[in-house]
Amino acid sequence: MTSQVEILPVACCQVGVRYGRTQAVEEATFQVEPGQVYALLGRNGSGKTSLVRCLLGHQKPTAGRVELYGQEVWSSRQVLMHRVGVVAEEPDAPPLMTTRQLVRFCGGLYPTWDQAGVDGRLSRFRVPLDLPFGRLSRGQKGQVSLALALGPKPDLLVLDDPTLGLDAVARREVYDELLGELAERGTTVFITTHDLAGIEGLADRIGILHQGRLLVDASLEDLKARHQKVSWAPTQAVDPGDLAPFAPLWSRAGSLGGEAILTQGDPSQVPGMQVHALSLEELFVALVGAETEVAS
Amino acid sequence: MSILAVTRREWTGRRNVLLLALGIGVIMVLGLYFEPDLKTAHEKASFMGVFSGTMLAWVIALMFGATMVSRDLEERRFGFLLNQPLHPAQIFLGKVLAGLGLALASGALASLPAVLLSGLWRQVGLRDVGSVLGVGLAGSLSLLLLFHAVSIQVRSRSLWLLLDLAAWVLFFGVVRWLSLRLIEAGAFPEMLHLWLVLLAGVTLGLGLAGYLQVAQGRTDLQWSHRWVSVTLASTLGLMLLVGAVDVAWVLKHRPPAVKAQPRSSRIH
Repeated sequence: MTSQVEILPVACCQVGVRYGRTQAVEEATFQVEPGQVYALLGRNGSGKTSLVRCLLGHQKPTAGRVELYGQEVWSSRQVLMHRVGVVAEEPDAPPLMTTRQLVRFCGGLYPTWDQAGVDGRLSRFRVPLDLPFGRLSRGQKGQVSLALALGPKPDLLVLDDPTLGLDAVARREVYDELLGELAERGTTVFITTHDLAGIEGLADRIGILHQGRLLVDASLEDLKARHQKVSWAPTQAVDPGDLAPFAPLWSRAGSLGGEAILTQGDPSQVPGMQVHALSLEELFVALVGAETEVAS
Repeated sequence: MSILAVTRREWTGRRNVLLLALGIGVIMVLGLYFEPDLKTAHEKASFMGVFSGTMLAWVIALMFGATMVSRDLEERRFGFLLNQPLHPAQIFLGKVLAGLGLALASGALASLPAVLLSGLWRQVGLRDVGSVLGVGLAGSLSLLLLFHAVSIQVRSRSLWLLLDLAAWVLFFGVVRWLSLRLIEAGAFPEMLHLWLVLLAGVTLGLGLAGYLQVAQGRTDLQWSHRWVSVTLASTLGLMLLVGAVDVAWVLKHRPPAVKAQPRSSRIH
């Protein structure tokens, strides 16, 4: 157990975060394997940012333990940050420093700094180097943050909603850069995002945080294998009772027909029921929606 | 090296202050040309130069202290430094060094033109220069650290502010009472000595509070405030204890003050 934990890029054990009477994160336990892309999903206010802050040693969890590469983050933050690249949710570089000054500042702090790589990325992103960071567009700030995070050739990349507020082109550029990094160096990635369609092709494992609790922690393949999306035409009389053997997670029926996400059985045998490929977004909405219904 | 990298980062965008300082320095020099008596003009200009330079250094130090961490925390930008492989001490010292450097450079720019042109530099010794620099530096450091703590306390808007107020009120109340005891005993040099010791102790405590705010509070303004308050209240308490022991020792060992003897009513 101990030797396995030591090499894990991320290991969260029973992590809890509390602000006064509000429990932001409750007993979150998950691990990220080397080279894995772990996507932590959740609605706004679900506790993602609190968990990321614990993961980066910005905040001490009120319960549990957060480790990166076998070391507790809170006490070993400085050492660990040599191996971690971070893109924050809100670009947080000093607004008066130019991109060139930021690159020089960060470059001086890491012995593994890849100046050519950073220059190449900034050139691909077409970011003006002599404009203060505060005067760059939202997309350019995100691109500079990503270039700086990848500069020290990190073993682990922590991205807190890196595509927030980006247009489709800028989002694509961010994902392309990530794909390149993954293909070239096999960097482990921990990402929180609302862009479910964008992350679907990248993520190996999914965590879904809802109201502070980790509802799901599974590989994307497993999740898709365990759930099936079906639909039926309005002419087909599908009764809720007909779905019961398939343990529906979520269902909807109306004048245009119906659809459901099922968790067991083989619905293709049912006449009139069509089985479809399930997207991550549909799965997320069904899982979180079902949980919200149960809670209410 | 990392400390200096943080220092350089802090200077970015704040160098305009040096221009302001130079402007003030030039204004002080102009004073030389409005006084008919050259000797008086030189004296006035050099005094005003040193005075305004020291004041400017102190104002810049307190303004820098009030923004160096708390503004980043409030605008959620402090995480940028914590995401780099920097020790909290490197972050804090780098920022303090930047503030002191900026304050002293501004003070020097504001005072040097008048001091040089008035010829004051020919009359003063190294000791005088050291005294002025010492006062400027000590004042700048104390103000920078004090306003750093105050800005954290004010921006967090938490109930810990009540502890801060109570601690300061108690501290000044007891210091006043101790000073009065020394004045009654005629121990003026000892009183000044006590004040210096208390100032040095409180400045050290403010430095420790600032470091702990970065090391333990990190990006959480409420936690930062808690660490600043607890450290500062403990320091003030400790310094009061030191002060009380010092005053008790002075009053015990000091020879009784010479009192005027009542005149004899007998007529010789």
